[in-house]
Amino acid sequence: MAHKHKTKKEPAAPKSFGWMAEFVDEQQLLVAARKLRDSGYTKTDAFTPFPVHGIDEALGIKPTILPFIVLCAGMTGTCTALLLEWYTNAFDYPYIISGKPFASWPAFIPVSFELTILFSAFTTFLGMLALNGLPKFSNPVFTNPRFDRATNDRFFLYVDSKDRYYNRDAVHKLLKDTHPESLEEVLEDESSADIPQPIWMGITTLAIFSLIPLAAIYLIRESRSEEPRFHIFLDMDFQPKKKSQQTTTIFADGRVTRPQVAGTIARGQYAPTGSYYLGYDPEKVASLESAKATRFVTLGQPPAETAGSPEEGTPPAPQEPAPTAPAAEAKPTGTPATTPAPAAPTATEATPATEPAPAQPPAADAAKPADAAAPAAAPATATGEVNLDTLPWLTDFPEGVATEANMARGKQRFEIYCGACHGITGDGNGLVAGRAAELAQGYWTPPTSLHDAKIRQQPVGRIFHTITNGKGKMGGYSSQINAEDRWAIALYVRALQRSRNAKIEDVPEGERAALGNP
Amino acid sequence: MATTATASVDNTIEVPGRRADLVTGNQTYGSITDMVCRIAEEKTPAFWYPAFGASSLVALMFVSLIGYLILVGVGIWGNMNPVFWAWPIVNFVFWVGIGHAGTLISAILYLFRQNWRTSINRAAEAMTIFAVVCAGIFPGIHVGRAWLAFWLTPYPSLNLWMWPQFRSPLLWDVFAVGTYASVSLVFWYMGMIPDLATFRDRAKTKYRRMIYGILSLGWTGSSRHWMRYEKAYMLLAALAAPLVLSVHTVVSFDFAVSQLPGWHTTIFPPYFVAGAIFSGFAMVVTLLVPVRAIFKIEHLITLRHLENMNKIILATGSLVGLAYGTEFFIAWYSQNQYEGFAFINRAFGPYWWAYWTMVTCNVISPQLFWFKKIRTSPFLMVVVSIFVNIGMWFERFVITITSLSRDFLPSSWGYYQPTWVDGLMLFGSFGVFFTLFLLFCRFLPIVAMSEVKGILAIQNHEKHGHGDHGSHH
Repeated sequence: MAHKHKTKKEPAAPKSFGWMAEFVDEQQLLVAARKLRDSGYTKTDAFTPFPVHGIDEALGIKPTILPFIVLCAGMTGTCTALLLEWYTNAFDYPYIISGKPFASWPAFIPVSFELTILFSAFTTFLGMLALNGLPKFSNPVFTNPRFDRATNDRFFLYVDSKDRYYNRDAVHKLLKDTHPESLEEVLEDESSADIPQPIWMGITTLAIFSLIPLAAIYLIRESRSEEPRFHIFLDMDFQPKKKSQQTTTIFADGRVTRPQVAGTIARGQYAPTGSYYLGYDPEKVASLESAKATRFVTLGQPPAETAGSPEEGTPPAPQEPAPTAPAAEAKPTGTPATTPAPAAPTATEATPATEPAPAQPPAADAAKPADAAAPAAAPATATGEVNLDTLPWLTDFPEGVATEANMARGKQRFEIYCGACHGITGDGNGLVAGRAAELAQGYWTPPTSLHDAKIRQQPVGRIFHTITNGKGKMGGYSSQINAEDRWAIALYVRALQRSRNAKIEDVPEGERAALGNP
Repeated sequence: MATTATASVDNTIEVPGRRADLVTGNQTYGSITDMVCRIAEEKTPAFWYPAFGASSLVALMFVSLIGYLILVGVGIWGNMNPVFWAWPIVNFVFWVGIGHAGTLISAILYLFRQNWRTSINRAAEAMTIFAVVCAGIFPGIHVGRAWLAFWLTPYPSLNLWMWPQFRSPLLWDVFAVGTYASVSLVFWYMGMIPDLATFRDRAKTKYRRMIYGILSLGWTGSSRHWMRYEKAYMLLAALAAPLVLSVHTVVSFDFAVSQLPGWHTTIFPPYFVAGAIFSGFAMVVTLLVPVRAIFKIEHLITLRHLENMNKIILATGSLVGLAYGTEFFIAWYSQNQYEGFAFINRAFGPYWWAYWTMVTCNVISPQLFWFKKIRTSPFLMVVVSIFVNIGMWFERFVITITSLSRDFLPSSWGYYQPTWVDGLMLFGSFGVFFTLFLLFCRFLPIVAMSEVKGILAIQNHEKHGHGDHGSHH
């Protein structure tokens, strides 16, 4: 493969590239090289099995610019690393870790160092090859088999025919006088420069086969299918478990989602009744309203009870099995058989109050028989929401809440649970609120100041209700704070509100002096 | 006349005013070429096939175990809360440490003009690359989902929408080991180009000539090329010298930057680097003593080369011993009770046997090299070097396991136990290593011929005044 040069089909004498003299040791080579240089030849070269000491000076070879290229590459590596680290960790995807700053320059040093070395080393290698014009498989010096010893134990000196002073006979004589082992002309290679057929076929076959996986990936990515994607590794996306609404063979009814077991309350569904837990008087609600009020009272109840109450009071109970009995059981009876009753009462069970549906009176009747007919006074809106402003809130704290100990407890709980957003003083300027404002992400609803006139005027029962069930973006705290503590917090909120609008008369006589007031 | 007789020449004797020969047996340029090329050109030696068969079978077992791991998950290892790092990381640090000798010999000894590096550097560099290959496998499969290990690279991804964490030493490690592997490979390959050209020019068959021709990139030995080549080699050495020191420093950061007692110490970088050079040289001695005997290159890799390496093993082994002592001293001197406990626990806790194995192999055994008889005896030096490598594996075991198994929460303390997969994977990685090394011995120039010829030229030149080209003692 190495013996080749563009073949011309002319029978003429092969082209000459210059003279090549062979020496057996490096000292002879150096002597001859100096002689060539002193005669003015510049397009000369030596071919040696190892770098001969002194040959650069003997041939007049100029130093390389490689170190400067490497210096530039090294600095490029440093800058690339620093830019990459800053862009990825401080700009495009900033997040706090180990308490370090986003742009943590000391932590960026190791990677910057490594990339400096990486860029420099590869530039050194590739730059050396590029400056040397390698790889170069076609070289006239390979024509002569004698030259094979240049990488073994012989030293060659070469004068190129393109030299300014080149004269075939003069160079021959000059080199002859240095007593070389041999002296030959470098001639054009006549042999074929074509890459052998099997190699071509091998490369082509490999190239074609290497396209197959790429094509397969492309087809899979671009095609549409009803089937789920093919996953080589299932990861955690596909686990031997069931999700809601799927089917199973474990239970006879084939349903994954299990109905509630009779006589139990699901987690989070426990909702005690009574004004102490609700913040308003359910009795009064019942006397005020009808259907909407009933609904509101049962809002916090477990769904089973909500579903159960109309059932109890519906005498015909045609669809009695529908809410509790599984679909699988219902099926064998046949679809037409299950719907003899009018569809309306079953379908609109959840919103009977919005219209004078026939199912309404029995439902209301079942819950609170006393006030069956008072639809006009319903405070609910058309969508079924309850108007909180008109509920009969407790205006006074329940018995035993307003104590000194509860006030201290309320302050402590308030600062733990509420202060983060509402602020320690209740101004709506807690740390979370401050951070959210700083991030300015757009979807943050600022917490309400508890000193707003609107909040101040709310009855205590409503404040308790807000703590319990949440409001707007604020979640309910009933699962984290028990009712006693929620009342204590409400008590402390009242105290906070009052402190802002207190008159001097509100302060006990003995304490007034401490405020610096007469 | 050049001699390739196996009779070893003792060139370890110091004669004042006279530089000891590094190439013995009256070699010529041609005889050096013959000696090295013969290994790859002659009929495959009889031992090679069984050796290659056995090691490639072990390597195949390793690959199968990786397949098993990918199918089943990392639960097949003994890794268990709180010892999540366990053997995979122990093996990683062990192999990366071994991979330090090659580039150290090529780069640092080159910068210090230590001519004795020339005949051992090629094999040591090859060993380095194969060790780094073995090292790279372990963290790759330790991440759990090995097929997603490419997430470590900082590439913009629409699926992930995130970037690697550059403030973590684990990512520094990815860059350090990645850079080290690729730069070592470039260094090794570049050093081989002139020798591959020798192989090409001696090739008897068309395809052999073609393959070595492609690999040698059309190298002619032109003086202009040599000039740039030497400059590039010098630059690479200057770049690789700090690199080789940085790699194990960064590996030690994996431990030292954490808060765990026994890990969180500033002594780790120098201590790890000394240990890495120590284990790397031990592995070079383990490999080269049989290699020089089997391939009959005792005149190139002489006793003096081996003795010099043993001196380095002695020096770095003593440094490692000093580091062990310093750790204990600091644990006491700092009066930090957690640090104190961590070290008492290392030496006298449940893993006392690992600790004292480490001390015996790493601190005591290299001290034998104070005796010239031992450090110039090929058999004994191999025994010591194998002990050193056992000890260095245990060092990483002690550091990783004892600290992790006694973390801050006493309720999670436990006794770590490896599984059969852990054991076979360590064994299997040796299969990969020896498979690659045997291929290297068979198909590539195991001694840097062009560099040895340069040394021979200097050696001859120095003697020129005496009109004496031979070597004698």
